[in-house]
Amino acid sequence: MAHFVAILLDDKRLNAIKGTEVEEKIVDLFGGELKALNIEMPEEAEKWIMEAFTSSRIDTRGAITDVPVAFNRILFEEVAKHKSMGKEALDAVISRADEIKEAAAKEAEYLPPPDIDISDVEELQKSPYQKP
Amino acid sequence: MGLLFERPLPHGGRLVERVVTDPELGKKMAKGCKAIYDIKPTLHYETGVPVRNVYREIMSICYGFFSPVEGSMKKAELERVLKERRLLNEWIFPYPMLFDISEEDYKELGVEVGDRVLLRLKGKPFAVIDVEEIYRINPEEVATRTFGTPEDNPEVVREPFDKKHPGWVIYRSMNPVILAGKYTIINEPKLIPPFDRFWYPPRKSREEYAKRGWRTVINHQTRNVPHVGHEMLMKTAAYTGDIEPCNGIQVNAIIGVKRRGDYPDEAIVEGHEMVHLAGYIKPERHLVTICLWDMRYGNPIESLLHGIIRQNMGCTHHMFGRDHAAVGEYYDMYATQILWGKGIPSFGIPKPVNEVPYGLQIRAQNMAEFWYCPHCREIAYSGCCNHTKEKQKFSGSFVRGMVAEGVFPPKVIFRPEVYKVIVKWWKKFGYPFCNEKYVKEKEERLEVELPDMEV
Repeated sequence: MAHFVAILLDDKRLNAIKGTEVEEKIVDLFGGELKALNIEMPEEAEKWIMEAFTSSRIDTRGAITDVPVAFNRILFEEVAKHKSMGKEALDAVISRADEIKEAAAKEAEYLPPPDIDISDVEELQKSPYQKP
Repeated sequence: MGLLFERPLPHGGRLVERVVTDPELGKKMAKGCKAIYDIKPTLHYETGVPVRNVYREIMSICYGFFSPVEGSMKKAELERVLKERRLLNEWIFPYPMLFDISEEDYKELGVEVGDRVLLRLKGKPFAVIDVEEIYRINPEEVATRTFGTPEDNPEVVREPFDKKHPGWVIYRSMNPVILAGKYTIINEPKLIPPFDRFWYPPRKSREEYAKRGWRTVINHQTRNVPHVGHEMLMKTAAYTGDIEPCNGIQVNAIIGVKRRGDYPDEAIVEGHEMVHLAGYIKPERHLVTICLWDMRYGNPIESLLHGIIRQNMGCTHHMFGRDHAAVGEYYDMYATQILWGKGIPSFGIPKPVNEVPYGLQIRAQNMAEFWYCPHCREIAYSGCCNHTKEKQKFSGSFVRGMVAEGVFPPKVIFRPEVYKVIVKWWKKFGYPFCNEKYVKEKEERLEVELPDMEV
């Protein structure tokens, strides 16, 4: 069975593939609460990923996981650019290997946190039920 | 036999408490010491990254989490634990507890059997060890025997342990000289926030259960920020009990060095706390607690320690899932449930842990899996839901990937308030998970501060 990389789709990514044939490949996860593209990896590409990123592994779903965020980002960029999940998009990803590895090295130290409002939980934490 | 379950006695019959709370007495004990040793983190034998700090073991022993163990093990006890998972006094115990120092430090200390050594932490007096025996170990041999081998433990060990296993690395990275003897904390540390409000050593947890009117308590072991699958596991497992569901649900988080990719300890404890602050479980029924221990990821072996810790805390039940406290595929994914369900003879436990002499009293609640079922439109238990083709698993790596990409998780995966706790600590540490920087900084900071003590 071919393994795949799941790319989660937020609104920005959904817009980027709107109207393309890639849009037809979108799968629903968790009852439609999440959208994703399951991009199948040919044996050669899988081998490249596993060698390039030592943290990567295959999970129980058959998904290649624990790859750098930068890999997923560039994989999506190339899929959107080529309007395809085929070989040409994957070759373009591999041609950007140095860029991905450089970004991945930085990722080990820092990942930008999402810019979301967390004041509601900070408010809840002001009155903890358990006290020191 | 009565139908009501009573709070179990501590493992070994009585709680070990080796903490001097009178500073004057502490000073007096410190003055009688032959030598002073500054506690150092155990560093990975190849990379030099911290993998353990023995202070956590001293804390857990002296506050009674590991009762009946009272200190660093003598050679005969180490052998017995490795062979039969028993202490010399017969009680079941899974792991070697060792105070290890380098040959250079041993030479410099110049201690002998009968001496008392002052142990300093963060430059301040912390504890003493009364040296009863000094011997040497081969760390690699101890590491391998601790976790077992496919040849010696064919019931559950599937692959030989190696340097990819963080628990094996901890023992492999130990120093060769062992000072054996009892520990006593002479300068009581203060837990720092956010850990202070989750610090319930066995005596205090038992008092807390009594205060809350909890007779039956089920424990949830964690090293994770809880996703909704964990929450459902807790709620569903808690339906067990005796004539009624368990009165209390205790979360006990293992706090210490973790592997890369696990969540920071601060996010773990506050994530669990948020489950009751945001009302998903009533706070009156939910208690978040911690135990200091550098997790060994030893699946069935680790589950024994977890059972001991939680029985000492007063729990009547313990939930165990698939791949309990596991990493990789070294053990059978149901090894823990095999141990508690029928025993593992090659580990010295030929019957369920509750049925062997000097075994445990805490009852196992072995649980299978939870997944999201789009057909049922709910978090479903694998023993019930038959939509196996449609199921969507809570794969840890999938969830980590989603978090790392900054995707706001849907409510069926993370409660939004719990996810925001991850983000809170992500903003502080610049990273959502444990990485090398976090581990190094945390191992300098630790979880405690010590009061000044002039000696």
